[in-house]
Amino acid sequence: MSVSQAATRPLWLPPQSRRLRAGLSSLGAVLLSLVVGGVLVLIAGGEPVSAYGALIDGAFGSPYAIGQMLVLAVPLLIMGLGLALAFRGRVYNVGAEGQLFMGALAGGVVAIFLPVAFDPLLIAASIFAGMAAGAAWGGIVGVLRARWGVNEVITSLLLNFVAILIFTYCVRRPLRAPGSPDLQGRSIDPNAALPVLPDLAVHVGVFLAIALVPLAAYLMARTPFGMRVRMLGFNAEAARAAGVSSRRMVMALMLISGGLAGLAGVLQTLGVSERLDLGISQGYGFTAIVVALLGRLNATGVLLAAVFIAVLQSGGQAMSVTEGLPYAIVLAIPGVFVVFLLIADRLARG
Amino acid sequence: MELSVAMSGVVKRFGAVQALAGVDLELRPGEIHALLGENGAGKTTLMNVLYGMFSPDAGAISVGGREVNFRSPHDAIAAGVGMVHQHFKLVPTLTVAENMVLGQRGGPLLRRRELAAVSARLRALADRYGLDVDPDARVWQLSVGEQQRVEILRALYRDARILVLDEPTATLTPPETQRLFPKLRALAAEGASIVFITHHLEDVIEWADRITVLRRGERVGTLKPADSSAEDLARMMVGRDVRLMRVVAGEAPTAGEGRALRQRESAAPVLEVEGLQARGDRGTTALHDVSFSVAPGEILAIAGVEGNGQPELEEAVFGLRAPEAGTVTLDGRDVTRCEPAERMRLGMGLVPSDRYRRGLIRELSVAENLALDRLGRPPFGTELRLDRQAIAKHAADLIERFSIQVSGPEQLAGTLSGGNAQRLVLARTLSRELRCLVAAQPTRGLDVGAIEFVWEQLAAARDCGVAILLISTDLDEVMSMADRCCVMYRGGLVADWSRERLDREKVGLAMGGASNGGPPRAAAAAEGPV
Repeated sequence: MSVSQAATRPLWLPPQSRRLRAGLSSLGAVLLSLVVGGVLVLIAGGEPVSAYGALIDGAFGSPYAIGQMLVLAVPLLIMGLGLALAFRGRVYNVGAEGQLFMGALAGGVVAIFLPVAFDPLLIAASIFAGMAAGAAWGGIVGVLRARWGVNEVITSLLLNFVAILIFTYCVRRPLRAPGSPDLQGRSIDPNAALPVLPDLAVHVGVFLAIALVPLAAYLMARTPFGMRVRMLGFNAEAARAAGVSSRRMVMALMLISGGLAGLAGVLQTLGVSERLDLGISQGYGFTAIVVALLGRLNATGVLLAAVFIAVLQSGGQAMSVTEGLPYAIVLAIPGVFVVFLLIADRLARG
Repeated sequence: MELSVAMSGVVKRFGAVQALAGVDLELRPGEIHALLGENGAGKTTLMNVLYGMFSPDAGAISVGGREVNFRSPHDAIAAGVGMVHQHFKLVPTLTVAENMVLGQRGGPLLRRRELAAVSARLRALADRYGLDVDPDARVWQLSVGEQQRVEILRALYRDARILVLDEPTATLTPPETQRLFPKLRALAAEGASIVFITHHLEDVIEWADRITVLRRGERVGTLKPADSSAEDLARMMVGRDVRLMRVVAGEAPTAGEGRALRQRESAAPVLEVEGLQARGDRGTTALHDVSFSVAPGEILAIAGVEGNGQPELEEAVFGLRAPEAGTVTLDGRDVTRCEPAERMRLGMGLVPSDRYRRGLIRELSVAENLALDRLGRPPFGTELRLDRQAIAKHAADLIERFSIQVSGPEQLAGTLSGGNAQRLVLARTLSRELRCLVAAQPTRGLDVGAIEFVWEQLAAARDCGVAILLISTDLDEVMSMADRCCVMYRGGLVADWSRERLDREKVGLAMGGASNGGPPRAAAAAEGPV
């Protein structure tokens, strides 16, 4: 009886393999959220098929469009990797936005003032400063949690606002572009600007971001550190009894995820705005949380998720222009998506 | 005489695992029936089927001569079946009376007047069966023994005629156990049928009218205690002769003791604890001025009933709980402020009391679990690379040496049975270079075969010169293993006996708080805290 049962196992039952099941539930959630997005388009008086056509066209229609999509994917990917690692260890850093701005500020200051003529050195110094600042901003959260057990969700969230206000103050006062009346921060030394690929108009930071994917995958799966992170995430008590210092791990995870957010901030500054600019992030630090969860805290998954979100957002802008639809519809899709994903997860677990 | 319960040919599968392979069980009114078997023999599964938690895949059940098909415990309760689970299912913040009506459809949960009626009925029930519990007390304020009485009362309150108790004596003091069974006897005398699940052979022989032994989902036999000895029962349970029984009887010293004795006389203590004081999770003082020392090749047993500070002692000694005062010294080095990692480096090991919470990580494989505490060091690779091959080889070796029953090293640790989980924890801990081992409740919930194995391993480690602190609530374990024995009561140590002066009755009494001829220092500690 059990044999025939296995042979005629109905297709609608979730597959046995956990990996396959997780993949299928992600895919199902993607499709469902696209359907809901279509319904939203209908409600807004549009035509779903042509709207999605416009979205795809907006993301992939030309080399430039692809480039814009990639530029958007870079910060999401970099921050998503760091957050995925931290979330694996149940360190819920939701402060990537603030860490990004601190990284942009420090990296920007170096790129504006450091008198180095040699481009690679200047860029390297700027990136280093940005990562250090992001890590330090995350490190505050780490110290509070490791030393006094303060909940990192609250501190990292609130430090976002502090960081954004510091950044805003700087571009308004001490670092305002000379002679500019509004919120324009100073431009960086042109030598510090990242080289840009022809046609695609993508800064070279994209290579750095892609190179981080296998590195993160290796760190998560093949190193003692990655194993300790998983231990901490699965069972912090047992990890501690096996000699894993949760304080050190929390610190390390906050420093790494903060440093990567800082890196994203520097790359935005050196490769996109080329000045200190409040517009370098449209809440990317928060979107990166979605990216990390969507990618199931897995390096390859984060890569796919970052591209998916970038396609939606950059294509969506084009769509809202050509189809005359509100951009909010596009912004709604990832939100709907996460809800479906959670439902699918529940169902898949049975 | 009509049977109160007849189960026949009951089959229950969980996926590929056959938990029950056609089990018959008959209960008579007025009898106390013991269900005996190793872990995983299917005792609890069988009772959960009777209680409507699981529906059987095949077989028939009749209660009071009527065939039944329970869909849920609600149906079972309605038919007069009550169950007291091993882990109590009470809401700690509610009163005893409120817990009674919880889950009853249309129950008068929040109405004061009707709750008063519930309390009155409970008092009557409690008086009648001698189950002294205050109906208005909140459950969190009650001791384990009292909570168990609440569970029994709840079953009686719902008019249970068939009462199932899963491991009722696992967490009780010997005196509490001695009080429990007469009450069950009184219940049975009124015509109720009582089933209790247990590992304790003594309880079975002393109190059961009939005994059913299960092994691997099958019934081995049903017999009367008068027709069988502890050795017979143990053999039926495990299907082979168990040397353990000799040890349980408290007679045979384990091998190598003479050597260990000589070794220990000359040596300086490995572990020294001085004036240790710590708070529990609720902020109350859990350890009060605890001092002891353990020599190399010595097992110091800390006996005591659960809830007297044992988890806090385990944690404070291993560095998982910061003490408020006092020192822990390992080989002359003060490690009071050291993290567990540092203590492990100095040769300390822990077999934690809660093996699933602290001993292993369910989501990781057996192989990974066996290497958890030595990642990043040769031969398991470096900080930059895990050597998966070395981890797998190490696992294969330990699985063999410690006879861990697994489908392979990649099996998830969370799917291991209690005995195998403990073998895994022991394998990992004992395969390190140890100076001192803290073993907390190392055989709790294990079957005889596994208990024997654990004891042998501990004895072997002791004979190799490891200083062992054995924290145990199991008097048999203390009597068989201890070279020296202290008793823990309300956070303090109240006695210190050498093996020669160890007396079962005295230890049992001290565990229950009857302070007696311990040394003056220890006796003074007993009076200190509350």
